[in-house]
Amino acid sequence: MREMIISELSQALYELARGFAHFLPRLIVMLILTFVGWVIAYVLRVALRSILRLIKFDKLSEKAGASQLLNKAALPSATELLSQFVFWVAWLGFILLGVSVLGILGLQDQIARFFLFLPRLFVAIFIMFFGMLAASFFSRAALLAAVNANVPSPRVLNLAVRSIIIIFVLSIVFEELGLAQHTMLIAFGIVFGALMLGLAIAFGIGGRDMAQRFLEKRFVRERKEENEDELSPL
Amino acid sequence: MPLNRDVLWYKDAIIYQVHVRTFHDSNGDGIGDFPGLEAKLDYLQELGVSAIWLMPFFPSPLRDDGYDIADYNAVHSSYGTLEDFRKFLQSAHDRGIRVIIEMVLNHTSDQHPWFQESRSSQDNPRRDWYVWSDTNTRYKEARIIFLDTEISNWAWDPISKSYYWHRFFSHQPDLNYDNPAVREQMWNVMEFWLEMGVDAFRLDAVPYLVEREGTNCENLPETHAVLKELRRKLDEKFPGRMLLAEANQWPADLRPYFGDGDEFHMAFHFPLMPRMFMAVKLEDRKPITEILQQTPEIPTSCQWSLFLRNHDELTLEMVTDMERDYMYDTYAGNKTMRLNLGIRRRLAPLLDNDRRRIELMNGMLMSLPGTPIIYYGDEIGMGDNINLGDRNGVRTPMQWSGGRNGGFSTADPERLYAPLIQDPVYGYPAVNVLRQTETEHSLFHWMRRIIAVRRSTGVFGRGSIEFLYPASHRILAYVRRLGNEAVLVVNNLASTAQAVELDLRQYKGNILIEMSGKNIFPRVSDLPYLLTMGPYQFYWFRLRRI
Amino acid sequence: MAEESFLTDDFLRQLINVGEVDILVGLPTHNNAKTVGSVVHTIQSDILRCFPRERAVIINADGGSRDGTPELVTGVSIDDVRPASNLYALRTLHSISTKYATSPENGVALRTILAAAELLRAKACVMMSPESANIESEWLAKLLRPIYRDGFDLVTPTYRRHKFEGLLITNLVYPMIRALYGVRIREAYTPEFGFSGRLGSQFLGQHVWNDGSGGDGVELRFTLAAIMGGFRIGQSFLGGKDHIERRGADLVPALRETAGALFSTLEADFPLWSSVVGSKSVPTTGADPKALLEPVRVNRKRLRDMFSTGVAELDSVFQSILSPLTLAGLQRIARLGEEEFHYPAELWVRTVYEFATAYQKSVISRDHVIQALAPLFRGRVLTFVIENRNASADEVESNIEGLCLEFERLKPYLLQIWKSRE
Repeated sequence: MREMIISELSQALYELARGFAHFLPRLIVMLILTFVGWVIAYVLRVALRSILRLIKFDKLSEKAGASQLLNKAALPSATELLSQFVFWVAWLGFILLGVSVLGILGLQDQIARFFLFLPRLFVAIFIMFFGMLAASFFSRAALLAAVNANVPSPRVLNLAVRSIIIIFVLSIVFEELGLAQHTMLIAFGIVFGALMLGLAIAFGIGGRDMAQRFLEKRFVRERKEENEDELSPL
Repeated sequence: MPLNRDVLWYKDAIIYQVHVRTFHDSNGDGIGDFPGLEAKLDYLQELGVSAIWLMPFFPSPLRDDGYDIADYNAVHSSYGTLEDFRKFLQSAHDRGIRVIIEMVLNHTSDQHPWFQESRSSQDNPRRDWYVWSDTNTRYKEARIIFLDTEISNWAWDPISKSYYWHRFFSHQPDLNYDNPAVREQMWNVMEFWLEMGVDAFRLDAVPYLVEREGTNCENLPETHAVLKELRRKLDEKFPGRMLLAEANQWPADLRPYFGDGDEFHMAFHFPLMPRMFMAVKLEDRKPITEILQQTPEIPTSCQWSLFLRNHDELTLEMVTDMERDYMYDTYAGNKTMRLNLGIRRRLAPLLDNDRRRIELMNGMLMSLPGTPIIYYGDEIGMGDNINLGDRNGVRTPMQWSGGRNGGFSTADPERLYAPLIQDPVYGYPAVNVLRQTETEHSLFHWMRRIIAVRRSTGVFGRGSIEFLYPASHRILAYVRRLGNEAVLVVNNLASTAQAVELDLRQYKGNILIEMSGKNIFPRVSDLPYLLTMGPYQFYWFRLRRI
Repeated sequence: MAEESFLTDDFLRQLINVGEVDILVGLPTHNNAKTVGSVVHTIQSDILRCFPRERAVIINADGGSRDGTPELVTGVSIDDVRPASNLYALRTLHSISTKYATSPENGVALRTILAAAELLRAKACVMMSPESANIESEWLAKLLRPIYRDGFDLVTPTYRRHKFEGLLITNLVYPMIRALYGVRIREAYTPEFGFSGRLGSQFLGQHVWNDGSGGDGVELRFTLAAIMGGFRIGQSFLGGKDHIERRGADLVPALRETAGALFSTLEADFPLWSSVVGSKSVPTTGADPKALLEPVRVNRKRLRDMFSTGVAELDSVFQSILSPLTLAGLQRIARLGEEEFHYPAELWVRTVYEFATAYQKSVISRDHVIQALAPLFRGRVLTFVIENRNASADEVESNIEGLCLEFERLKPYLLQIWKSRE
């Protein structure tokens, strides 16, 4: 009996060693990949940071209003953030590549899915960024126009325009990421439609007179009753 | 070459205006005469003129350049005898050249025997031949013409102790045309010369023949009646002779002098002349087209007479004050050049001796509707001497050669009736007939050629005129038509090259043939006809449909 | 370099027929049939009377009028094709018209007229406004004579105006140009001015047409080009100004054409204006225009409210444009009632300078910068109205002079913030 146990034990040890010997090179490859990945990701981060600094990306994001948001969230500047993000994504990519080398089943699929997901992630981020830029621009334009036309509650208009655009952008982003696709779009549709309907009713019924005067002012320039006290600036 | 027998010869004529005194001296006394003029008829024939207009050559005290006549039936002794005149007349006719002489109807010199008799006593038979009055208050509305020298139209005669009427100088008493004897006598005078063979008269100062109380004594119906009577007699006895009116009036006021073709045959178109000069300076055709638009139609047998310069100053009476100031500033900057209301310069100096401008002006003279008159010496581009008094600066001796006295006379230079032009540019060594006849492209030969082209067709003398109005106002363009013949004249009034598009659609299908070189130009189509013109260039195109 | 020429074939043909001219009158129009008739007749009689011997042409650049305006302009030409005219003229007077677009654009109209002036080698040119309801005779001559006879290159008009009219000019354009460029031109932005052919050709050759500013306020840039190019500038008093209030009735477009045009040139011209110190006046002919003083109703409450609303609502915008000190100053004023309202000159000057700098750095869209200035300008208008409500003409003038000196005094501040924001 003692020989059987020793024989089994050596067999097991032998198999373990074999498995280990089988596994070790892959582990080493994985570690190498991880290290190489870190280097590449680091280079990418530095390069991207320089490029973004060159095109004054911070300024752009300031215009988008993104900088303010980041500030409030105590996050670093947009350039920095993007560079870091790219760094992590790149490194993560290489790590996952290394993991796939390990040959652990089941993980392969997920890893493949991850890589397929990446482009859509970038597109979504891209849309998000420029969407916020547009939201900022148009909401400010609306604000200025409202203030200069002496329309009451201009800030409400500002917020409304910004919200609508952001919601719209978000719904596209979610669709792009494949998260709750149709739901978001439908939700947006409902909210927007309701808002418009509400405004139409309010305008049509409640604001009839104001609407009339508004249209007259726009299209019938001779009626200057409101502006008769306005001095000509030129 | 015999004279052509056409009664309308004056419509095709090229007239050469000359004073016999200035042309050529045959007897060495320093004054031109008829034998001298006769000797130079070959030159005039070569030039191509078909009529000579002579300034007054009658016996006269010469206080008004010969327009104060003391004897109507003779020749001033300085210029020769009546026989010399007859010979000259015959020689001219032999060369196919007609002769036009002056006839001053309105007044005589106070040295004329008629006036001497008339003033001698109130009972003299010729008393009534002049206009006498005991007071100087009659005919108050009549204006004074020589404002610089006269203060009244009446002059006091100490001999007959009464006033006599004179529209011009006080030594030129007006004849009384209400007296049938006067009218008879004046016709006799004219008949005298007509029988000798004279072809036409330039009648001086015709608006003033008759006076009537309460009028301005100009252009009266009675005056026209006198003139019509003269014309009737002329047509009766001497068909084919011509009467040319000298009346410095606007074209509309001149129209009555043509009557219904029963008064004058021709009259000078005074207002056009300064406007031609103005148009060239302004580089704008507007002055010319406007005056011609305002010119009334005249009977078909009548004709306008056109000229660039003459023995008088370039008159600026028939222009507005603004135009006169402009002409003074641009053509007579030196005030010595200004006289009365005009500019006393010859053609070449007025145009800065610019050969192109001289050609352009002559081209217009020859192609606008009317009979052209060339002033002696302008065909070779003679200059003037503004330092000679009055208008004598443009009446200097004709320059025949570079030799002694310019070939005008063999007399001592001091004896000449006037000094020759001597400056390096216009002086007789530089500008003379001999040199120019020997040089192929001299102004003389150019004038000769253009006169020949003009005479090659009747369209210029007798045709209608239709102005084209191309959008560029620097181009003066018109079409002359006579029957089936049509000639397109295009003048560039500017000193710079121009491109002009002409609307010739009504002449579509015609080929343009340039008349001096006879080269073919493109055919007229529906598209605007493009011409490019050099500075001051002009074209005469015959429109030919083949 | 085969570029599309912006002159039509037909217009070019008309220019060929006109030929060289001495005087060119530019008249941009768009549906001005009510007033253009009397304007062109005054132009015509001025030319006939004051420049009878000169070759002259009226060039009408029309932006797609549908009321027969171009025909009214061309009907004024004097030539031999229409001899029925009872006007006497020594030479032909041309009046030609071209349609440069189907809707009006000031920049293209001016460019068309400058091109015509260059092709026709015009010595002296003048731009006239088709809306001058009260144009007097001799306006043309007053603008042209200094150019044609005395060798000036630019002659701007001065008008007799009501003291409360044209405040954008007296409170911003005039003092700022004066402080920055060192030249005291009262009406640098005006539809009527005279210029020499030389200056016109120079401006035509500049790239201002293609730099995307769309020709906004191109007249102002013309004046600045004259200053920068060292051309001889003068002023001429014309009379009362009574243009139909179509232009400038809306504040924001007016700001775009004045402040916008002005700010947009600062960057390119920096080397030139940064070294200028003080200011000099330009030769002026004609009477000294005294402001009209008749009482006029001004809705002060509205001005104050719009100012306060602006300051409050545009807070986020102002934070990226103004310095904290200036913003604080504005917020303090916004809390004042109508009676105590006071927008001091110094604060206004700082406001303007900071806006100019923000415009240059494009911290937000440039057009938004300009729009944001509007409510603040209203506040300044209110202060001006209050300060001068009982002032005499001389007092008004001296207040404006005081503001100008303030602009000049604070120029180093502008230079400082300009450099620091780099």
